[in-house]
Formats: sequence, C-alpha cells, structure tokens
Amino acid sequence: MFKLEFLKLRKKTRSWLGPILVFWLIMLAYPLTVEFLRDKLEIGFFSVLWIAILISMMLATEDIFSEDYNDGSLEQTLIQNPSFSIIVITKIFTHWLLIGLPISILSFVFSLGTTEDLSLSLSILPLAIISSYIFLNLFVLGNALSLNKGSVLGALVTMPLALPVLIVLGKGLIAIQLDINYQSFIFLLLGSLSIIIVAIPIVVSYVIKAHLE
Amino acid sequence: MSIIWGLFFTPEDFVQGNSYRIIYLHVPASFLSQTLYLAMAISSITYLIWRVKLAAYLIIAIAPIGAMTTFIALISGSIWGIPTWGTWWQWDARITSTLILFIMYLGLISLHNSFSNYEKADKLLSWLVIVGAVNIPIIKKSVDWWSTLHQSASITLTDKPSIDSVMLYPLIGSIIGFFGLVICLVLLSSKYQILHREKNKSWVKDYV
Repeated sequence: MFKLEFLKLRKKTRSWLGPILVFWLIMLAYPLTVEFLRDKLEIGFFSVLWIAILISMMLATEDIFSEDYNDGSLEQTLIQNPSFSIIVITKIFTHWLLIGLPISILSFVFSLGTTEDLSLSLSILPLAIISSYIFLNLFVLGNALSLNKGSVLGALVTMPLALPVLIVLGKGLIAIQLDINYQSFIFLLLGSLSIIIVAIPIVVSYVIKAHLE
Repeated sequence: MSIIWGLFFTPEDFVQGNSYRIIYLHVPASFLSQTLYLAMAISSITYLIWRVKLAAYLIIAIAPIGAMTTFIALISGSIWGIPTWGTWWQWDARITSTLILFIMYLGLISLHNSFSNYEKADKLLSWLVIVGAVNIPIIKKSVDWWSTLHQSASITLTDKPSIDSVMLYPLIGSIIGFFGLVICLVLLSSKYQILHREKNKSWVKDYV
C-alpha cells in the first residue's frame, strides 16, 4: 500500500516538487525584502521559515484526495478496504516523506546559511520535522472537508487549528535562543503529534465517507 | 438590569477606576462564546451518533450567535486593554486563542454555506466542530499554561471569588441575563433553521 502511494505521488512531479519549490522561493525571496546585513536577516528569518513550512504543507495537500475522488478510485478503495483510515495514514506519511522531510532538511540548510550556528540549526531540525507532519495532518483534514470545493476553503477552516502550533514553534525558538530547556516544546509538539497522527486519519476517513455517501 | 446595576451603581475599582465596568459585558460574552461552542460540540456528537436532525439544525443555528459573542468578547477586551495594559491588542495566549475561536466560527459558517446538500454539510460540520473543540480547554487554561497579560479567572467553581461581592452580584446577574438573551436568540435561529430545512413538509406549509 505504501509503495503504491509512494509511486503514485512520485509520478505526479508537480504535486511533490511544487511545494518544495514554493518553500525554496519564499526562503530565497526573504533576503531580498530586507537589508543584506546578517543581523537584520536573522531577525525575521525563523518567522518566515515557519510560515513558509505552513504554506508549503498547505500546498502539499492540495490534491491529496481530489484526483482519486474525481476518477472514482477513492470510492472503490473505500469499498474494498474497511480500514480506510490506514490508507489515509499511508497517504499522509507518503506526502510527508516526499515533501515534509525534504522541506525540513532545507529548513536546516537555510538556517545554517543564515545564522551560521550549527547547534541552533540542529535544534531547528526536529521542530521543523514535527511541525511539518502536524501541519500536513491538519491540512489533510481541511482538504477532506472541502473535497471538490477547492482547497482554499479547507485551508481556511483548518488554519485556526495550526495557529497554536505556530505559537509553540515561536516559544520553542525563543527557548533555543535564550538557551533555556527547549526540549519541553519538542515533547509538547510530539505529544500533540501522537494524538493528531491517530485522530485525524480516523476523522478524515469518516469525512470522506460522508462525501461519498 | 444587571448591566445598569454594574455600570452605574457599583463602586469604582481601586486600581482600574471606572474602566473595570466593561466586565459586565466582556465576561458574559467570553463565557458564552466558549459555552456556545461546547453546546455545538455536544450537538455534533449527538447528531453523529444518534442522527438526531434537530441537533444538526442546532449546530448551524448556534454558529452565528457564537461568532457574535466571540466578536463582542474580543472588542470589549480590546477596549478594556487600552486603559489597563496600554495597548488594545497583544498576541498573548488567551487573546490569540479567542481570536482562533472567532475564526473557527467563521470557518464553520463558510463550510456549511459552501454545500447545497444539507445532510452532507451537517456531517462535515459536525466533524469539524468536534476537532475544533480542542481549542476550548486551550482558551480556558491559557492563562495558567502561559505567562500572559490576561488575568486568571476571578470566579471559579472551587475557590472563593477574588472579586468583591458588591461587584460580583451584578456580574452574576449580567451573565444570567446574557445567557437568557442568547438562549432566546438560539431558539429563534433554530426555529428559522427548522422552517427553512423542512420547508417542503406539509406541517411547515400549514404553519407558515
């Protein structure tokens, strides 16, 4: 199942490369909007980084179900597989592997390039990895809710749920910069992820069933 | 009556002066914004488990009223913030989580309006309401979990109120009054929803 989803997504180059390129472009565009002085670059860098991850994850889920829904394969999969939530988990994981993980690694690279602080950039990596997975799950829910109604509506209804994650990311960053115990924020995000990773696919499977009924 | 009592007949606060009187609007509005969301969440669970149609009508009937009370809570909080904090807005946990609640209400209304198939819209709305309910404990506990400008609760079920009884009684009165007003609005809104959704039924034609 995983292999099939992986191959399906890999074939749709626009779907996985698009969000990565958008992330890349946002991060490249950022220095153009501020002075090329290193201290000025660092001021807003991480805020831009979190927002770029958020937007990329939003774009990554844009057509996670729509194509399958339009060609009828989603309905067939739902009939054939009683545990549809497993398929949703697989889809989310595949998207994270091909989009979320490269973006997290790119976050580390951009962070290293901007701050030249290896320990800070290494601390950013787990935050980016976990947050990208959380955002992906939330936007998948939004996408399922607004299936065939356009992804903007889905993003709008689930964006408020992503805001607490952004707050935690901001607080986590301050903790890293002040050299306070930032692991508590990682555990908080991991705790949220452990609930989300189970709950969201179940909710999404019910939502898709409601669409197909 | 309680608002008039609170605004004109309660004494001035030692620290905040007359600005504190906005609590007679702000506190009931904040309390109701969360209570209404909880009512929506309970209705959603009821609808999804027992398929009670009235519960589905209730969800969409409550949503605009919830949005309105949340908006009043945010605006009154901002007005109160100017004399007490010196700023009308602060991105602190309580205020931000309340803003998220307001956006959630708007999102729920837009989601429901985007579907012409009401049954499907009801189901999707119910699921989103349940997922969004995670924000309610965050709002409630935000003042304890994070260091915020917003004060912690003055009235709790377990502890003695930290507010003087001269100010407390009109506050309780205004909460009860607002509660009554909101119940009336929810009933009217539900009546509209029932008549609108059942418009093809013979009893509605007879009633109208």
